[in-house]
Amino acid sequence: MSLHHDVRHGLRIGRAEFVRSFRGYLGNTRRLVGLAIVMLFFGGSLLVGIPAAYFLGRTARSAAAIPFFAPAATALPVALVLLSMFRTLERIGNIEAEELMLLAAHPRAIVIGLITAEIGRLFLWFGFPLGGFIIAFALGVGSPLIVVSGGLIAIPLVCCAAVWGYASGIGVLRLLERLPSMRRFLKASGVLAMIGLVVASQFAGQFLVEADISIQQRLSVFTFDPLVEYIALTFIGTPIAGPISLHAGVVLAAVIVLTPIGLSVSTRQASALWFTETVHSDATTRTPRSRGGFSPPQPFAWSKAGRIAWGILLRGRRHPQELNHLLMAVFFIAPFGTAVVQLSSDAIGPIVAVVGVGLATYFSGAAFGLNPFGDEQSQFPLLLLTETSATTMIRGRLLSGIAIGFPFAVFGPLASVFFGLTVLQAAVTTVIGSAMCLTASMFAVGLGSAYPIYEEREFWGTKTVVPSTLVMMIYVFVVGPGTILGLLATWFAVTGNLVLTPVFSVFFSFYLLLTGGVSYASYRYAIRRYRRYSIE
Amino acid sequence: MPSTDEVPAIRAADLQKMYDSEVALDGLSLTIPAGTVYGFLGPNGAGKTTTMRLLTGLSHPDSGSIRVCGIDIDDRRALASHIGYLPETPPLYEEFSAREQLEYVADLRDISQDVADERIKEYLDRLNLTSDADKRIEAYSTGMKQKTAFIQCILHDPDVLFLDEPTSGLDPRAARTIRESITNFADTGTTVFLSTHILPVVEAVANEVGVLFNGKLVAEGTPAEVQSRATNEGGSLEDAFLAVTSQHETGVTPRDV
Repeated sequence: MSLHHDVRHGLRIGRAEFVRSFRGYLGNTRRLVGLAIVMLFFGGSLLVGIPAAYFLGRTARSAAAIPFFAPAATALPVALVLLSMFRTLERIGNIEAEELMLLAAHPRAIVIGLITAEIGRLFLWFGFPLGGFIIAFALGVGSPLIVVSGGLIAIPLVCCAAVWGYASGIGVLRLLERLPSMRRFLKASGVLAMIGLVVASQFAGQFLVEADISIQQRLSVFTFDPLVEYIALTFIGTPIAGPISLHAGVVLAAVIVLTPIGLSVSTRQASALWFTETVHSDATTRTPRSRGGFSPPQPFAWSKAGRIAWGILLRGRRHPQELNHLLMAVFFIAPFGTAVVQLSSDAIGPIVAVVGVGLATYFSGAAFGLNPFGDEQSQFPLLLLTETSATTMIRGRLLSGIAIGFPFAVFGPLASVFFGLTVLQAAVTTVIGSAMCLTASMFAVGLGSAYPIYEEREFWGTKTVVPSTLVMMIYVFVVGPGTILGLLATWFAVTGNLVLTPVFSVFFSFYLLLTGGVSYASYRYAIRRYRRYSIE
Repeated sequence: MPSTDEVPAIRAADLQKMYDSEVALDGLSLTIPAGTVYGFLGPNGAGKTTTMRLLTGLSHPDSGSIRVCGIDIDDRRALASHIGYLPETPPLYEEFSAREQLEYVADLRDISQDVADERIKEYLDRLNLTSDADKRIEAYSTGMKQKTAFIQCILHDPDVLFLDEPTSGLDPRAARTIRESITNFADTGTTVFLSTHILPVVEAVANEVGVLFNGKLVAEGTPAEVQSRATNEGGSLEDAFLAVTSQHETGVTPRDV
């Protein structure tokens, strides 16, 4: 098959994939509302960013004078390759309706199509804000030509980064297919690396301020001058342009040569992945077995809700990818991590207790409560037609979340005893934390029932249904402050510093009423939705 | 053969269902006596799955009424013990083994442990799943999943069984096992509402047939009646099905139907 033919097919595939994604984004009103909220949330930064870009253009005297231009120009292609690799691992390493596509088009055409669609999606999400910054900067410089030259410079770089990122991503997927144990190791190390990165980011700012280090100086070590000179071609014909260097031309030639080579490598890798049946040497290890049937341990066995909870927990343990969304907790815990280190030894005890209870409330609701209908979607024809009531089903889901959260509510305060809290203070914190676990999980099931997500997404070769990001955000923004307020009141009470003024009493009663009332209403709502659920 | 019980197993009157502007069901009425094996036929998109969902209470009609075993379809709690439903996509937890899945379902269905153990063992044996019962369902073939899902929908000994393509994806041996199970259930008085494209299955087990086309019931009767009305003598049910549906597609009034 000719390249021309494959490119034509590839562009058709790319267009079709992009249109599918676009229709998915705009699929229903609730998703549009979610998108609008996300845009409002992140769009605010444009109000500051665009004037700043304009001001930067006004004051720039040369490309070298633009702050962080050289390290940013070096980091850009690296970031693009990594992004492409990550997206390949996460999403575009495989194509839907694989049998059909592989019989209808050459793998090279499919690779071109998948990469084209991904670039389209990238442009859709980031093109407009990025375009806004570039236009504002170009207007500041007084040369709108930058928009055109910037585009011309970016196209070969984006194409080259995309094909090599894809090739690398497919390479990793092939490796994971061959070495399943490596997949587990990479997942575990990936989680740890992310936790480390988030925690490190909390210290980075403070370190830079205290150590009195020039960031520009440090970053100049990682600068690759030929690449910087190539990116600086963007400013050709503007007042801030420098002389055209030979290095820039070499980089352009290299990028142009490397792109078809990358495409060829990607195609070979993808063909090998898509057309090769993975053969595992030890077939028995691939057929997981369970002895003894469905036998929940005590105390789960006591009630039907408990047995349902055990079923949910068991499935979660055997399919932990369903719990990927819980990693969001890392971003909330990290700031406390620095606090633990920075605070005096007297404060470590309360912080450990607070972190324990905070995790407990988070896990109690977020583990299994934020998408109850989506999690059970394909089983609903079975579940809705059993004799078990909606109340029992929802209680089972509550219990499964609490079973995850409750140990944190116990062991956090317990550990804090070793850091100075009294046993009484720890015990009271545990009791309050346990109550918060219950209210958090009750709130979560109602929230999750109001905005169920049914679409599965393939993540690292595993299809999972995760709760809506909007639901996660609402849950965290409601339960987080609620937990902190409750713990503050508890802390003042157990340390004897609580003064029962009329104002405090009114506010605290309102807090209790709101926490209990909203949670209970949410729980009742979930039951009602479950009872009236219909498959359309 | 259909019994003469006064309360029909399924009574649906003038069911209407729209999806946006698309008519899924247009005035469908059914009366199916207890003990009947009702073969529900229709081309793709005719509204068969929609009908199954309405009759099981999993979806609500825009208008019309449904009673199964004399119970209003909105009363899910009362209905649960009377019906079993096998949808086209088996509702199974892939993380469970078949034994765990069935024991879990038995618990949800309030079946006592002794009875559940006995029935699970019997059905696993009958459908040749005993040796694989402790394997996780994710490792099962399509046929094994279908058989597991079939067992879970009959585990509570329902009065009315709704089966959506129960033999699809099964090898001939497994398909025969399911077919024989359907006949056995009918012999014990269970009503079976069987939706399938595999017409020989309907010919083999059904004692009443309904043909749905564009949301309307266009033919109904015993297999022999439907065949004789729609085709020349000696035609198969497949011939009758093709005749009935193409007559309605082309707008020509079907002969005697």
